[in-house]
This record gives sequence, structure tokens and C-alpha cells, in this order.
Amino acid sequence: MNKGAMAPDQEQDTPLKSDSMFINLGPQHPSTHGVLRVGLTIDGEMITKAVPDVGYLHRGTSKLAEVRGYHHCVVLTDRWDYVSAMPNNLVFCLAAERLMGLNVPPRGDVLRVLMCELNRIASHLLFFGTYGIDIGAFTPFLYAFREREMILDLFEMVSGARLTYNYIRLGGVMVDVTDEWVAKCREFIEYFKPRLDEYDTLLTYNPIFMARTEKVGLIPPQTAVNWGLSGPNLRGSGVNYDVRKADPYCGYEQYDFEIPLGKTGSCWDRYFCRVSEMRQSVRIVLQALDKLAPGPVMAPGVAKVPKPQPGEAYAHVEGARGDLGIFLVSDGQASPYRMHVKAPSFMNLAILQELLVGNKVSDVIAILGSTDIVLGEVDR
Amino acid sequence: MIEYFSKVFRGAWATVAGMMVTLKYMVKPSVTVHYPTEKLVPFERFRGALLFDPGTCISCNLCVKACPSTCITLENATIPDPKNPAIKKKVAKVDWYTIDFGKCNFCRLCEESCPTKPKSVWHSLDYEVVFFSRDEMVRCWKAGTKFVGQYWDRKEKAFKDPEGQIQIQDVQARR
Repeated sequence: MNKGAMAPDQEQDTPLKSDSMFINLGPQHPSTHGVLRVGLTIDGEMITKAVPDVGYLHRGTSKLAEVRGYHHCVVLTDRWDYVSAMPNNLVFCLAAERLMGLNVPPRGDVLRVLMCELNRIASHLLFFGTYGIDIGAFTPFLYAFREREMILDLFEMVSGARLTYNYIRLGGVMVDVTDEWVAKCREFIEYFKPRLDEYDTLLTYNPIFMARTEKVGLIPPQTAVNWGLSGPNLRGSGVNYDVRKADPYCGYEQYDFEIPLGKTGSCWDRYFCRVSEMRQSVRIVLQALDKLAPGPVMAPGVAKVPKPQPGEAYAHVEGARGDLGIFLVSDGQASPYRMHVKAPSFMNLAILQELLVGNKVSDVIAILGSTDIVLGEVDR
Repeated sequence: MIEYFSKVFRGAWATVAGMMVTLKYMVKPSVTVHYPTEKLVPFERFRGALLFDPGTCISCNLCVKACPSTCITLENATIPDPKNPAIKKKVAKVDWYTIDFGKCNFCRLCEESCPTKPKSVWHSLDYEVVFFSRDEMVRCWKAGTKFVGQYWDRKEKAFKDPEGQIQIQDVQARR
């Protein structure tokens, strides 16, 4: 707008002022990956305030756990982060096993690691595909889902379900894997390794994709720590914290893998962390397959209706989205006295109110997609 | 100027490289199936809709206790006591058995807890569990009912066979 077109009462030296406008992003927006509403106050194209509104998917599982038995709670955990349900199963079982003093046999531990890492690949593939769609690239989505389908087939073969597995149980895992399954898993990994390079060609180093994500949504390391981020969102900022290394569980200290780190904390760094994590997960899966020694997969003497001694236990694992923790309190009854879930998605979501401010409206989806939240875990 | 052209070149090259990947898969066989005409048969352990056999059930209530969402209810069968016909005696048979598929988690806990051989309640491979009304969600079984069960239609006040169920065994297998 040239100066001649300005209203006469407007002072010439002040910047152009416009009315702020309030817009709703969601709850039915296809790019919010679930039912998330973000109230955006915008001034022209710039966002001046962002208020994430959660709770559309609240099912009260923490409260439900107080009236369910310990075996039933594992079924509830499937419904938090439905994209990667294995770590959810695992974290509850770890906490409950600490309460009950159960020791998982070695083969059970290896199977747990194997399933969690396969699920991490599946979850990051979903992120990879949908983030491409958010940015405007549709092709990678189809390839990502093709590979994800194979992992889901593996899960279907071993547990019978494709999303809500209920596979990792108190004291071990549901059933042992067959040799056929192991062969199929190896076949998948061999197929999957070269696909990762194709993904780099399709999306990672695509100039258009890099231009849209590289300098957008910067999270400095200190800010990331202050907001309590975890998972690839934290590591994208260059903070080296991974529960698998910092507080190993299920024998993760025996596996040889690296923690990919980002440099600047931009959307691209967070994206790249996840793609690199898939490569590391492939390494862990191969090592776990080699480690599989014959033996029992379930600890002996797991009660049908467990009544652990009064006490409390905390367990946390590195889920696909970050540091997933569970605090369990038992009062000696058949159901937990209190179950608290420290959900990484909820904390990763909270930073949006600071991160979105000052960005353009068109970058909102890029930033929102790069945090990779699952609303089932945010609301629980 | 050089930067501009290098940018154009990099963008064009990325498009070409992406198309190379796509073209490679164009000549490969399709990975999708045409769903309504072709159907996949799930793996053996697949947890589909629950089936129930009223003949083998011993009415032990273990599945009722194992269910996380309390979607199973059952009632013991009774016979009159031979000494005193006024008193009904419970027997290890099921009188009626219902599963509310509106609540079911498909978690396999009931199947695992079932003590009979063969299992009286088990997951079929049926993944096309469709319901047109809430009445259809509650499946009922009585002695002599088929494994798939019946539902009680509240409007017409009659038990009806569920419709729209596929016979997964008849479907052509992909795997």
C-alpha cells in the first residue's frame, strides 16, 4: 500500500495498524492430527497469541484405572498414544512389575525392546507421511504407509491387533514369536533399509520442504528444557537426553545405538531427528533379533488378580514421542489407588503457546506437525 | 544471479529425483487391494468379532471377571431340585450369554481366561463388524444359538440374526 492511499487521519510515520482477528484452528482441522483446537489471535498474517485448547478426547483413563484390575489397565494404556501403543503397555507393566517385584525373563525383555522399536519406526513413519502432507507433499505419505502396513502386519501376526495391541503384559509378553515371524521381520528390515534413502530423496533434502521448515519454529535448548519437552522435540534442539541412555530399562544398555541430535531446534531438525531415529531403531531391531535366545517369555507366578503390597512406583520409557512416565500408587487392593501419566505429547503441546507467537499463519501447520502430538495421549 | 539459477536447478533436480523414485514403483505390482471385491484374510491370531459356543460353556464367570469394560454378562442354567421342585439348582451350563460390542475392547483377555477346551468364547477373523442400530451391538446366545449369536430387536420384540456379517472363510486369501 502506498502512502497516498492511507487514511488522512493516520499518522504517516507509524507502522500500518490493523485490527487483530481471532480464528479457530480446529478442532476438526485435518492438519491438527486429532481433535485439537488452537485459538489464534492474528494481526494481519502474524500470530500475536495462541491458546491450545485440549480435552476433546478426554476419556478419564487415570480415573478408570482406579476401579480396574492391573491386567485391565494394560488395555486402557493402549488408548493413550494409539499410534505407538507398545511403549504405553510397557511403561505400565514396568511400573506395576516394580510394585509386585516381578522379574521378566530375558527373552521377554528382548521381545519388549523389539516390539517397542518396531513401533517407534511405525510411529515415525506416520509422522513422516503426515508431515509431508502438512507441508504439501503427498507422495511420501503413500510410501510411508506402505512400509507402516508391513509393521502392522507383523504386529497383527504376533498379537492379533493392528493398533491396540495389549501385547506386553505384566511379567512378560502375551505370546512368543515364531521362527516364521522372525524371518518375516528380518525380511522387512532388509526391505526397509534402502527405503530410508528414498525418503531422503523425496522429502528430507527436497529444497521446497527445507525452505518451509529449516528456519521455522526455532526452539532454543534452554526453552526446550524449561517447557519440559522430551523426545525428538527436545533432541532436535540439541539437548542429549534419551531415557534409553539416561535410565536404561529392559536391557537397553546392551544395545549399540546412537542418539541423533539436531542443531538449531527448527522444524527440520525435529523432523530429521525422527528420520535418523528410524535408522537407529533398525539397528536396535537387528541386534534384538540376534539376541533372541530360547526361553520363557512370561515370568512364573503372575497372579490372575494381582494385589501388590502398599507402596508407590514410577517407571518411564522413551516412547516414540518422548519421556512417557507412569506413577502408580497401590494400597494393597486389586486396583491401583492412583495412576498418574506423564504424557510427553501434553508437554510438547504446551510449548505451542510460546512457539507460535510471531510466526505467520501459514507456518502454524508446519510447527504443529513438527511437534508430532497424538491427541489421545494429550487428553488421555 | 548464479544463486538464482542454482536454486532453480536444485529445485528441478529434486523434482526429477523424486519422480525417479515414483517411476520405479510404477512398474511394480500394486500393494493395495480393491476392498469390497477383494478382501484380505487376517492372520490366524487376529482379534476380530467374538464368537461364543453355548454348548461348551461351563458358566464359570471367568470371562466376565476378565473383561476390562464389563461387556459380558451371563446367567447360569438351572434345573429344579429333584427333592424339592420349588428350589432351582444351578448347573454348569449357560442359560443366556450376552456380549455388548459397543463396549468391547477386542483385547483377548476373555479368550485367554476361558478354561474350556475348545474355548467357548474366542475371537473370529471377522473384521467387518457392522451395526445399524444399538440393539444389534448386544449379541445374545442361548442353548442352540449359532456361534455368531442373535440380537434382540426392541421394536419388533424378537431375536434376529445379525446381518451384514461376512464369511471370512469364503473370501479369497491374499496371504
